[in-house]
Amino acid sequence: MASREVVHYETPITKALRWFSVAFIIVYLIWTLLPILVMFASSFKDLLEAFKIPAVGDWAGIGVFFEFTPTLKHYNDLFANLNFSSYILNSLVAAGGSAVISVVLGSMAAYSLSRISFKGKNDLFFWIISTRMAPAVAVMVPLYSIFRSLDLVGTLPGLILAYTTFNLPFAIWILKGFFDNVPYAIEEAQMVDGATRPQALMAILPLVAPGIGAFIVLCILFAWNDFLFAAIIGSGGAKTLPVATRELVQPQNIQWGSIMAAGVVTTVPMMLLGLVIRKYLVTGLTMGAVKE
Amino acid sequence: MAKVSFRSVWKKYGELAAVKDLNIECADGTFLSILGPSGCGKSSTMRMIAGLEHISAGDILFDDQRINDMAPRDRDVAMVFENYALYPHKTVFENMANPLKLRGQSTDRIRERVNAAANLLEIGQLLRRRPQELSGGQKQRVAIGRAIVREPKLFLFDEPIAHLDAKLRAHMRGEIKHMQRTLGTTMIYVTHDQLEAMSMADLIAVMHDGELQQLGTPREVYNQPVNAWVAGFVGEPAMNFLTCEVQARRDDVLLTHSNFALPLLPQQVQRLNGHAAGPVRMGVRPDGLSITMRKPSEPVITGEIFVNELLGGDMIVDVQLADARIRVKTAPEFEGVPGEACYVTVNREKWHAFDVENGRAFF
Ligand SMILES: Nc1ncnc2c1ncn2[C@@H]1O[C@H](COP(=O)(O)OP(=O)(O)OP(=O)(O)O)[C@@H](O)[C@H]1O
Ligand SMILES: [Mg+2]
Repeated sequence: MASREVVHYETPITKALRWFSVAFIIVYLIWTLLPILVMFASSFKDLLEAFKIPAVGDWAGIGVFFEFTPTLKHYNDLFANLNFSSYILNSLVAAGGSAVISVVLGSMAAYSLSRISFKGKNDLFFWIISTRMAPAVAVMVPLYSIFRSLDLVGTLPGLILAYTTFNLPFAIWILKGFFDNVPYAIEEAQMVDGATRPQALMAILPLVAPGIGAFIVLCILFAWNDFLFAAIIGSGGAKTLPVATRELVQPQNIQWGSIMAAGVVTTVPMMLLGLVIRKYLVTGLTMGAVKE
Repeated sequence: MAKVSFRSVWKKYGELAAVKDLNIECADGTFLSILGPSGCGKSSTMRMIAGLEHISAGDILFDDQRINDMAPRDRDVAMVFENYALYPHKTVFENMANPLKLRGQSTDRIRERVNAAANLLEIGQLLRRRPQELSGGQKQRVAIGRAIVREPKLFLFDEPIAHLDAKLRAHMRGEIKHMQRTLGTTMIYVTHDQLEAMSMADLIAVMHDGELQQLGTPREVYNQPVNAWVAGFVGEPAMNFLTCEVQARRDDVLLTHSNFALPLLPQQVQRLNGHAAGPVRMGVRPDGLSITMRKPSEPVITGEIFVNELLGGDMIVDVQLADARIRVKTAPEFEGVPGEACYVTVNREKWHAFDVENGRAFF
């Protein structure tokens, strides 16, 4: 197996490209991070201070941005008056629940699709992924009508089910790739060594664990950030953070301070999650790419 | 320990029959080698015994118990896989400990067994590494180690030392043979290397195109091949084949070729069994021939030296006949030079005749 020490050979072109990529990354970071920075800062500012902006071209005036007395009143407002703690809980349950269900069912289906050959397997596999080809809006109306007749609208189980409908095909598709990359010979060796079939499957799980971990995060992200399903299926009883935040925009009164704080509350958990599993996320998403 | 029997075993992959009507009886404690060229169905046979491949037809029995429908773990075999099949996320130690762990052995016993196997295989210093940090030959030894930590009913070794260097291979041949002798465990050992089969096995099953050609001791397979294919596959350097005519002359029966006409021995005439005239394929191994530069008195084959190859203690001389070339084994002191005329005598005890059509051996 090749070692990880890549040999570099520098030419003028690669040098120029390297400078270009550094410049590109700097611009890109400013572009993506600035709004988040503004959000964070504004959530701790009084409204008056938040809207203080220097005149165009007045670079020296940029200091205004950092001149404020930090206040937690927006956060206070969110949790004391606007009931955000229950929305956070809704978001957590909906995202976590659908992610766990998708990954458990998805890995079982993916394992079978990867290991067993049967008639019509390719068609089945294509059908599974084709359910993700229609945009979500297209199925929204029938889905709503089905959910309403089942009394699932406005409930957490309903929302979990809706997210699972969308995450599961994706899970099967991605996880099958991970299982395909684990040679079946490893399970055969396990079985000859004295393992039962389920034990053999458990023995290869460490090999697909990074992939599964990474995929759980993708599922959580999808559900956590979703607005469409949450607004329509979850409306009322199962309000999640994005919907609750949207409701802070009222016709006469846009509550900027609370919106910024809600933005922070929504973003931070996902950032922490990303940090915690960063290592796995990277190995997980690239593992499928290399066949040895 | 077990007796292994194959009763008309077939393996079909769709249309392709990889193993055809295999019948073998392998007594308890036997070292059986399955020998054949690439793609002849050796691994398929092994995988059927291990329970990794469905048996398309026929039965495999361990001690007269049919095992067709038994799960691999219940068959109590230990296998060395052709492709190693090591666990990539486990260290060498954990790889070798796995079969013991799955069977609930104590930690002390596991350590003791693994260390013993590692010492035997000279991989003691590698126990902490993972498979991707090993060379091919090291991986192969770990795979052997994983099989021999346990004392199973049956060992299945699928080309276990094909990736070792020549010296280590010779060493491992001895170690494996010795281990099998000491434990007395039945062993089925797949190889495409006839030297390996010859030197290790009690019994050799020669396979070709999914069919069992011959089942016999190494001596039988070497000295009495049942057909031209086995004769040509077993033995290095390979047997010489010449198409000859059988001709009756007065009280003799002669084998004639454009270069020679030699009488058959009486018992060989008997074995021809009615095939009194017509073409046969004559086969004789290089060590059944001898070569001289001076014409001897007995009947000889005349030819011209094509090339000499010195192989350490032996010399192989290629001799050009009118329409064929044969190889002769001789002593390294042989002084012939390419281009010179030479005389080859045949040890008629050691020659064979095969049917031209179906290759079956007359003698
Ligand atoms: N899973 C499979 N599906 C279809 N055909 C197969 C399969 N496995 C093996 N074969 C075919 O069966 C025949 C025998 O294969 P097998 O692996 O038993 O050969 P082998 O004797 O072990 O060869 P080698 O010495 O190269 O390992 C080959 O023609 C091979 O192409
Ligand atoms: Mg093979």
